[in-house]
Amino acid sequence: MIKLQGIKKIYLMGTQSLEALRGVSLKIGKGEFISIMGPSGSGKSTLMNIIGCLDTPTAGEYVLDGDKVAGLSFDRLAAVRNRKIGFVFQNFNLLPYATAWENVELPLLFDGKSARKRKERVIELLNAVGLYDWRSHRPSELSGGQQQRIALARALANDPPILLADEPTGNLDSKSGEEIMDVLTELWKEGRTIVMVTHNDHISARSQRIIRLFDGQVI
Amino acid sequence: MNLTLPRFFWSEYRKRRKKGALITFALFWGTLSTLLLMAFGQGMSIQFQVAFSGLGETLIMVSGGQTSLEFEGLPKGRPNFLYPEDIDYLKDRIPEILRIAPESYGYFQVSAKGKEINRTVHGTTAEFAVMRTQVPQMGGRFLNADDVAEGRKVAFLGWKVASDLFGAADPVGNQIVINRIPFTVIGVLKKKIQDSMYQGPDADQIYLSFHAYRQIDNRRRLDRIHIQPREAGQSMLIEERVRTLLGRKYRFEPSDRYALGFWNTIENNKEGLAVFKGIEIFLGIIGVLTLLIGAVGVTNLMYAVAKERTKEIGIKLAIGARRRVIVQQFILETMFVFAKGTFWGFITAFNIVHLIRLAPINYDSFGIEAYLLRPVFSLQIFIAYMIILGALVFLSGIFPAWRASRLNPIESLRYE
Repeated sequence: MIKLQGIKKIYLMGTQSLEALRGVSLKIGKGEFISIMGPSGSGKSTLMNIIGCLDTPTAGEYVLDGDKVAGLSFDRLAAVRNRKIGFVFQNFNLLPYATAWENVELPLLFDGKSARKRKERVIELLNAVGLYDWRSHRPSELSGGQQQRIALARALANDPPILLADEPTGNLDSKSGEEIMDVLTELWKEGRTIVMVTHNDHISARSQRIIRLFDGQVI
Repeated sequence: MNLTLPRFFWSEYRKRRKKGALITFALFWGTLSTLLLMAFGQGMSIQFQVAFSGLGETLIMVSGGQTSLEFEGLPKGRPNFLYPEDIDYLKDRIPEILRIAPESYGYFQVSAKGKEINRTVHGTTAEFAVMRTQVPQMGGRFLNADDVAEGRKVAFLGWKVASDLFGAADPVGNQIVINRIPFTVIGVLKKKIQDSMYQGPDADQIYLSFHAYRQIDNRRRLDRIHIQPREAGQSMLIEERVRTLLGRKYRFEPSDRYALGFWNTIENNKEGLAVFKGIEIFLGIIGVLTLLIGAVGVTNLMYAVAKERTKEIGIKLAIGARRRVIVQQFILETMFVFAKGTFWGFITAFNIVHLIRLAPINYDSFGIEAYLLRPVFSLQIFIAYMIILGALVFLSGIFPAWRASRLNPIESLRYE
């Protein structure tokens, strides 16, 4: 599903260069539940961004679902993010002025789905996360757990095969965090590939495999 | 055409429209001031033409003069007078003349219904009406060919003369007495604005048929000859021919500028129009600059909006928005804001112009208000404004939109 070979990422800061990833190679199979762990500055987020097609590697090869990602245009990468990858962020990243319904609908809108299909899918997802009755509420009117469930529904909108979760429970209380992890586990069991960044050993224990990074390398 | 995204953008815009209030107001103000400047500029230009045509359109007025050059042994300083036979003399020899009319005038005591006033009385022919914009009020008429041919004792009054002698009553059909000779009033001049005149405004004048006038003033000579060319462009040619023909007849050098007096309204009008066109262009430029400043302000505000929405753009890019979606959204939002601001600016300017036009002009003490109180909203202004606006909308929206679409999704997501 995901194959990284010799991935390097170098950031240029004026005359200085910072090597965030130093030849990372890894494979994540279809339907795997992976945790990426490591201390701050180890390159977890950079790796996550590259896997999520939000960033491109300086060197190395990245194959996602059989397609080489390197060299794809910005808009092609956007299409990959829209259809193949669902994002769940630590701070939810919902549009503040949009309702729960509109936030979930957004990826479907960008994919050009018809109004009827969008409506059916949003109803299905909001019911799945138990927030259909909250569909007209804005994020500021929802609890942290509810916001993360909306974010999860949005991530699943186009039924992507891969879910990327960056500290999905980091901003939640333990009960809400457990609920989110239950949903993620359920999704994995349904056959979805899940890649999660976390600092939390208790959370990472839910995954099948842990990839540890240190100084931009897999250890 | 798929309107799903535009509908979504509209929905997003509506939720944030209060934040765009400042931009909307800037555009409203820019539109209002630009359109008003352009409307006043054009109104002044048109009013100048109207005021100038109060004297007469495409008119050359010839009067007597005094020679300033010696000619064939004759000394300089000889007076030249015009006579009634010069009318046919000139008309027969200058085919470019469309109309020609004599005019003599003098200051006389005029009385009616026990009131006595002193006014300038003119003797002329029917052609004078068209040449000097003598439009009668309802129920009356100017002198006609029969009045002139038969020397009928009829009079056409300026509206102030009519008011001074008859008050609010209709003078048509009543008699006035000039130099102890009675004349029947056949018409009163319709009110008009007039910024050029001799012997005072037409409102204060009395017009008699040429032959009837001769009964109160036995001078044989004319004070003026009015000439209207077939085409305005022939005015200088006619002027030269009149100088040549009358020079030959009265023995003066045709190039002697003082031998005859000429008032060529066509040439004067050209100069006046050029001045007002200049003012109109100047006001238009100020308007465009105002709008340009507004557009720069809008661009700045749109940049600020784009900055404020950096995170939102990052979220959209992360979940699959393409660059053109971000560009479309910003351009459409700019257009919504522009449309709203300019619509209200346009409506307000339109109403202000029409309200101002309702204000009456005082024809009796014609002044600056006659130019200022008649702003004009024309198709020309609207088209010019829309072209300028279209360009500014594009420029104001495209750069912030382009920059927003170029944001790095990762950095945008981190933006707080």
